[in-house]
Amino acid sequence: MNLLYLVWRNSLRKKTRFVLTVLSVVVAFFLFTTLAGIDNALNNGITNADSLRLITSHKISMTRALPINYQQKIQITPAIEKVTYASWFGGFYQNEKNQLAVTAVEKQNYFSIFDEYQLPIAQLKNWQATRTGIIIGEEVAKKFHWQLGDIVPLSSSIWMNRDGLFTWEFIVSGIYHGKNNTTDNKKIFFQHKYFDQARAYSQNTVSWFSIKVKASANIDSVAHLIDDNFANSSSPTRTISEQVFIKEQAQQFIDMAMVIKVVLSAVFFTLLLIVCNTMMQIIRERLSEIAMMKALGFSSLSLSAQVYAESFFTLSIGALIGSLLAHLTLSNVRLMMADLLPGIAIAPQHYIHLITLIILAAAICTIFPALSIYRLAISQNLGAKA
Amino acid sequence: MHNNNSIQLKTINKSYQKGNNKVVVHNNFNLTIKSGEFVAIMGPSGLGKSTLLHLIGGLDKPTSGEVIVKGINIAKLSESALTTWRSENIGFVFQSHHLLPVLSAQANVELPLLLTPLTKKQRQQHAETALALVNMSDRAKHFPKELSGGQEQRVAIARAIVSDAQILLCDEPTGNLDRDTANEILTLLSKLNKEFGKTIVMVSHDLKVSEYVSRVIDLEQYLASDECKECKETVELNS
Repeated sequence: MNLLYLVWRNSLRKKTRFVLTVLSVVVAFFLFTTLAGIDNALNNGITNADSLRLITSHKISMTRALPINYQQKIQITPAIEKVTYASWFGGFYQNEKNQLAVTAVEKQNYFSIFDEYQLPIAQLKNWQATRTGIIIGEEVAKKFHWQLGDIVPLSSSIWMNRDGLFTWEFIVSGIYHGKNNTTDNKKIFFQHKYFDQARAYSQNTVSWFSIKVKASANIDSVAHLIDDNFANSSSPTRTISEQVFIKEQAQQFIDMAMVIKVVLSAVFFTLLLIVCNTMMQIIRERLSEIAMMKALGFSSLSLSAQVYAESFFTLSIGALIGSLLAHLTLSNVRLMMADLLPGIAIAPQHYIHLITLIILAAAICTIFPALSIYRLAISQNLGAKA
Repeated sequence: MHNNNSIQLKTINKSYQKGNNKVVVHNNFNLTIKSGEFVAIMGPSGLGKSTLLHLIGGLDKPTSGEVIVKGINIAKLSESALTTWRSENIGFVFQSHHLLPVLSAQANVELPLLLTPLTKKQRQQHAETALALVNMSDRAKHFPKELSGGQEQRVAIARAIVSDAQILLCDEPTGNLDRDTANEILTLLSKLNKEFGKTIVMVSHDLKVSEYVSRVIDLEQYLASDECKECKETVELNS
């Protein structure tokens, strides 16, 4: 027998109360870990963005197309290295539950500007030579068991082809993997030229241009120069850095995260009240036992340390279960939100925050019981009779 | 001036505040208990029997006066020094045995040994010995709720002696027990006094204890005596 065994036995003394307290901790840490995963996605999107990449879209809205010939006009702007373009296809496989992030991209420059999507050069060349070829992320390949050479039908709820169908046939020509572990591995790319020729409407237009500027360039000045070029045209442009673009896209989620953070603070405050109250209740129930242990020679510090260990144990169990549940939930959310919010994952530093939080919460929950222990008069709690 | 193994209460005043009233429990109280004595303090409720026991055991401090146990005035010790002193010198047996319900009999007996540098194995051996001494070896793995009142009190006595404390303070140890079981406990305490030389101070209402102890102090009579009011610095020399 040792003190840890005593802490363990004391923790499980009233099983129903222990389970209920742990459940409240589980909820708090579930929210904490889930939010951390979403927060990580928001921050990663921004940090993954290339600071030398610009995005040019229609000034009014991203949903409005731009003429494809803007590429040449943008290319001659000073300090620009490369220009490429893309159009949003959307798409799903077999049924609308299997939503996919499918984009039509310009075949020559796109993958040299977006070098985070990496694939063998032979596959890239094969794709460039295959009119209906697609390059898919390795997670897509894994999920649907697609291999090179497979013919896959993808449907779009936006784009009809010249045959009057919303289902387009593609051939898998390449499989990319992410340059680092935060790169989205669930995208699909196909040739814009094929898209433009095969779609029933909106020929010779693109959704946006992606521009790589020279390292020495002032990115804001370049953006102004591009927009000035088209200021008086029928399709004026808005050029922003990729970081700003991602930030704007994520803005709605950041606001949501703000709300969740406020809710989470309230949850944690309530959690502290619950656990503190539980610990106080435990101390009140064990006053005579604590008095006896003090009489035996246990110091107030030693008894407070036992209360701390008990709080720490309860919080740790709850945090472990809550975090595991959050992991399971996030892995599903990650798939569902692959297009909107890629990179949902738990960062390693989250675990440091988690452990710090447990240590602090256990300390806070021990303060009042420890004060009771220090103030406890042994003789009055052993049933003394004068 | 005093025997190093004796217990001396000198000019003890003890009072406490109850609402707006000051309750005086002991006023200029003196008592000496010699080493190896088995003393029963008896008398009606409200005279301060348990308070005396708590003062001797360092669970409470006098308002003024000296509590000298084994040559140390424990009334002057700090709270932390007193805690250590208790663990090394005093074994307590309470009316409500105060065993931890989540621990087995053996683990309850081991509890005071957690404060010592003994290894796990040594702690187990000491606890087994103490349980054997109170004839509870066969119940070592039982939890308090699986034991009778007498058995629980035996385990509490084993816990009190496991650290080899020289002084045992017993607060109505037979108060909750039937006659036969109470006799068993008194026999056990008497054995610890006679065979192992433990100094035992016991508070009791049980008249039967006089058959087992070496001295009975009827507190009501004692409080009225000159002995109580005189600070006998030389009591050990005279004796």
